[in-house]
Amino acid sequence: MVLTVSHTTTYLYREPVSICHTAVHLNPRGSLHQRVISHRLEVSPEPVFSVTRNDYFGNEITVFSIHEPHQTLTISSKSVVELQPEEPPPAGLTPAWEAVRDEVGQQAGEESYQASEFVFRSPFVKLGPDFAAYAAPSFPPGRSVLAASLDLCHRIFSEFRYDPRATTISTPVDEVLKDRGGVCQDFAHLMIACLRSLGLPARYVSGYLRSGENTVGAEASHAWCSVFCPGFGWLDFDPTNDVMPQSDHVTIAIGRDYSDVSPVKGVAIGGGEQIVNVAVEVLPPRPAR
Amino acid sequence: MSQPATDSGPHLNTAWKYNPPGGFHDEMLTAAGGVRASWQPMVELLNGLGPDGLAKRWQEGRRLIHNNGVTYNVYGDPKSLERPWPLDPIPFVLADSEWASIETAIAQRATLLNAMLADMYGPRRLLRERRIPAELVFGHPGFLRPCCGIEPPGGIWLHNYSADIARAPDGRWWVLADRTQAPSGAGYALENRLVSQRVLPDLFRSTNVRRLAAFFQKWKETLRSLAPKRENPRIVVLTPGPYNETYFEHAFLARYLGYTLVEGGDLTVRENHVFLKTLGGLLPVDVIVRRQDDSYCDPLELRGDSMLGVAGLVQAVWSGNVAVANALGTGLLESAAQSAFLPVLCKHMLGEELRMPNIASWWCGDAAARSYVKEHIAGLVIKPASPAFDANPVFGAKLSAAERKALIARIESNPAAYVAQEQVSLSTVPVAQDHALRSRHLVLRVFAVASGDSWAVMPGGLTRITSSLDSLVVSMQHGGGSKDTWVRADAPAAPFSLLRRSQGPLPVSRATFDLPSRVADNLFWLGRYVERFDAVVRISRVVLPRLYQEADPAHAAVLAVGRRVLDAEGYLRGGEEQAPARAALTEVEVVTLIAEQLAGSVSEIRRVASLLRDRISADAWRVLKQLEQQFTDSPPPEALRVSWAQDLLDRAVTSLAAFSGLATENMTRGHGWRFLDMGRRLERALQTVHLVRHGLGLTPLANDAELQAALEIGDSLLTYRSRYLSSLQPDLVLDLLLLDEGNPRSVVYQLARLSRHVDQLPESHPVSGRPREARLALSMLTSLQLADAVELAAPGESNRLNALDDLTVRLADDLGLLSELLTRLYFTHAVASRQLLPR
Repeated sequence: MVLTVSHTTTYLYREPVSICHTAVHLNPRGSLHQRVISHRLEVSPEPVFSVTRNDYFGNEITVFSIHEPHQTLTISSKSVVELQPEEPPPAGLTPAWEAVRDEVGQQAGEESYQASEFVFRSPFVKLGPDFAAYAAPSFPPGRSVLAASLDLCHRIFSEFRYDPRATTISTPVDEVLKDRGGVCQDFAHLMIACLRSLGLPARYVSGYLRSGENTVGAEASHAWCSVFCPGFGWLDFDPTNDVMPQSDHVTIAIGRDYSDVSPVKGVAIGGGEQIVNVAVEVLPPRPAR
Repeated sequence: MSQPATDSGPHLNTAWKYNPPGGFHDEMLTAAGGVRASWQPMVELLNGLGPDGLAKRWQEGRRLIHNNGVTYNVYGDPKSLERPWPLDPIPFVLADSEWASIETAIAQRATLLNAMLADMYGPRRLLRERRIPAELVFGHPGFLRPCCGIEPPGGIWLHNYSADIARAPDGRWWVLADRTQAPSGAGYALENRLVSQRVLPDLFRSTNVRRLAAFFQKWKETLRSLAPKRENPRIVVLTPGPYNETYFEHAFLARYLGYTLVEGGDLTVRENHVFLKTLGGLLPVDVIVRRQDDSYCDPLELRGDSMLGVAGLVQAVWSGNVAVANALGTGLLESAAQSAFLPVLCKHMLGEELRMPNIASWWCGDAAARSYVKEHIAGLVIKPASPAFDANPVFGAKLSAAERKALIARIESNPAAYVAQEQVSLSTVPVAQDHALRSRHLVLRVFAVASGDSWAVMPGGLTRITSSLDSLVVSMQHGGGSKDTWVRADAPAAPFSLLRRSQGPLPVSRATFDLPSRVADNLFWLGRYVERFDAVVRISRVVLPRLYQEADPAHAAVLAVGRRVLDAEGYLRGGEEQAPARAALTEVEVVTLIAEQLAGSVSEIRRVASLLRDRISADAWRVLKQLEQQFTDSPPPEALRVSWAQDLLDRAVTSLAAFSGLATENMTRGHGWRFLDMGRRLERALQTVHLVRHGLGLTPLANDAELQAALEIGDSLLTYRSRYLSSLQPDLVLDLLLLDEGNPRSVVYQLARLSRHVDQLPESHPVSGRPREARLALSMLTSLQLADAVELAAPGESNRLNALDDLTVRLADDLGLLSELLTRLYFTHAVASRQLLPR
């Protein structure tokens, strides 16, 4: 499946901004399941300086600065990717969740050493008994890690309401748990907090979702999470839509949480009040004429 | 090893009443009561001086500390942004032989920690091979992932390392804690030395105390070497600002080392290079001596909520265009949890035994360690595993059974966040108190700087002492004290010393063009505030006596003039809401003015001055503190108010004159001084314009009493008398206050100075001809030079002084505009930077 993503972020400032330093995670990440056919980043006004490097987690990060006074900043990213989805393994083949916890706890090999990075607290993901308690019904002893995670994903989907007004980017994850509402980031953070509180490695995935009749979150950038499963790698779960992402999810970047991979962050000198607009479109390419 | 005792040496005179408690190693006396060899000359001196003699000598020490403004900020104590630095007169003495082993051990430890940093920010083999638990790196908030892969110049992460070490009862030294983030204290150690060698000069020389200068020289060499491509690299000291607990030290070190002290807002990143924003434009920065936590250094790639950072710094470091010392990321090792693993890592990485043992530590994240901790909690100190887990050390011995249980439960709920350490019986040392010597516990902070492939360790260090013998915590935040540390060499030190040179004027950083815009801004406003305060004090001094004299139309006129000027400037509160235009000031208004408004102004002046600690001389600073003290004392009972207020105002005028004199006296006639003086001139001109416009008013001036009041407030009465020897004439009064170029209080005089200053500012815009601010200053000056006093004093239509009205309105507007123009041109940093809304 080939998908074309267009993602435009526009900042409008009341006063002129003299200098702006920006770091973006907008280049899609290549993997076994996702081939990046093309990617183009356009910024207006033209940056005087721009560099792209790999960040700590292997995502591409582009850092640029603008030195001319401006009141509008437009960052437009266009990508074409080909998704090569793979069926998730049968749940019964995946190890019991306690086995995953123990293997990663002991860092038995290179793979589980790498995964151990994702079991600790991180800036947006606190850990604690409350999260473990919420997760507990999905994780009875001996249940396979896939079946248990799928159940947790389903419970978050059905027990939490999708409500863009309930939270902001800085709403802590324990409040999300208490208030039972939020958006995709909150649900991803919540599921990660639950998994990590049980000792399971969980990553945050930032990306896009193809619009469909029954999907939520396609009008902006999307987020979900993934769980480490020895022998099978990382398995993705989207608690906002109660699915395991296959052919509708485009991955941009992977990190511990939102703070590692936020699509656009920046510091502007001047500017006063600001308004930001985000437009995302994910489409199959038009048939050739 | 500690030095042998001797029985043949002197004994401490009983007048000192020194009785160290048993169970600890005493640094001066052996268990048998004999004096240790290295302390013998000190004991002889103490015997000779006696308690009174020492107290007398110490007066000099206290004076030095006070005059040098050596301070330490205590968090959460609004009254003492600066607390005087607590120093004990008696240095802590160590023999060179003993010092040598400390020195080697510290150098070894610094080498080890630097190697660990190189691994953790590089291949992370220690983690892969499970030599250190993943959690201590991956779970540590100080592990700065954006800095992984950066290779700092020379492979040095840790340019500056310090350790807290202490001596156990068996005489051996142990490491209590490592400081790798931005170790503080080296500057205080140097300050202590400057004091102790002045107080005990004879002993200092005769016992061959090792000098500190070479250490700082090595430090400078290392910093220079970080920018090998530049012949004369620009090095700056980055401070979080005046509210940091050790701000004094940042300013002191910057001055001593000859670098510019900057805050994050003074720096900017352009095209991947770091620049210092100065009046002369952007100047490239090659090396940043970092005195703030690394995670706050770049709001773009590190903590986004940081107000202290430089956006884009990480990318500039990546590109190799700037070096940061210590490197970004070194805070990772400032963790009590890691020390438990150092003995094994030392063997593994350096192939050596760790020379100085850690105090025994158990990281509770490890199950075996945790069960030990639970069992032995009564004898342990529980600490947070990393600085981000906010908590003070808890002493198991001091807890009740229930409290211990609660603590264990807290550990169980998040074991990885806790470390337990053995409770050490710190050694004791004599301190002078109440004409006797008392025992206090000590911890020695030692300092090392990277020097090529090796380390230079400061011969000495900062000795810190507990506030009481029962206290187990050595902390300046909790009322502890400090001592100088004397390492005694066997032979006299080489005569060369940086210190001697530094006793003269400290080396000024390169050129006055280095003046950061922020500093220029603060100086300008300091000038304005001081002058504004001065004006209000003068008005109060003129009106106050009139309040209590018998009813006399002349007095009433003075009070009315004063009222109108103060009212026009918004100073009056607490009086009649809407007094008639010719109303006189009331007592309530004047006392409120003095007790509240003026006290507020003094605090404002002090606040701005505190932002300029590295630019204002210690004497000027002291005068300012006294002035503030006078105003913060609460007013006496009603009956004494007037004489109290009069006295306060008299002293304020003197103090202010002293402050202005000292502040400008010690400032080179560069741009710094220029901005201070511009602020003063601009404000004085504005005040006088207000005095004329509102005090005298715009109706024909006939009232002698009012004219006299205006002259008095304008500090020009004497000049008038000496010049005209006549009765008061409106046009002559206006001439003197506004147009007389020979009167240093006149508006035209201020404008002449202002115009000259503005002409000499570094032009920061490419317009040809005179820049706008210079034209503005010149046009004000000319309008006064061309004005005619007789015309100004002549009533026009509807019996109003229209010419005076026009002139004063225009002057007030233009002066405001000039201030704004200067702000826009030179202080642009004041524009706040903000985060883009995250998306």
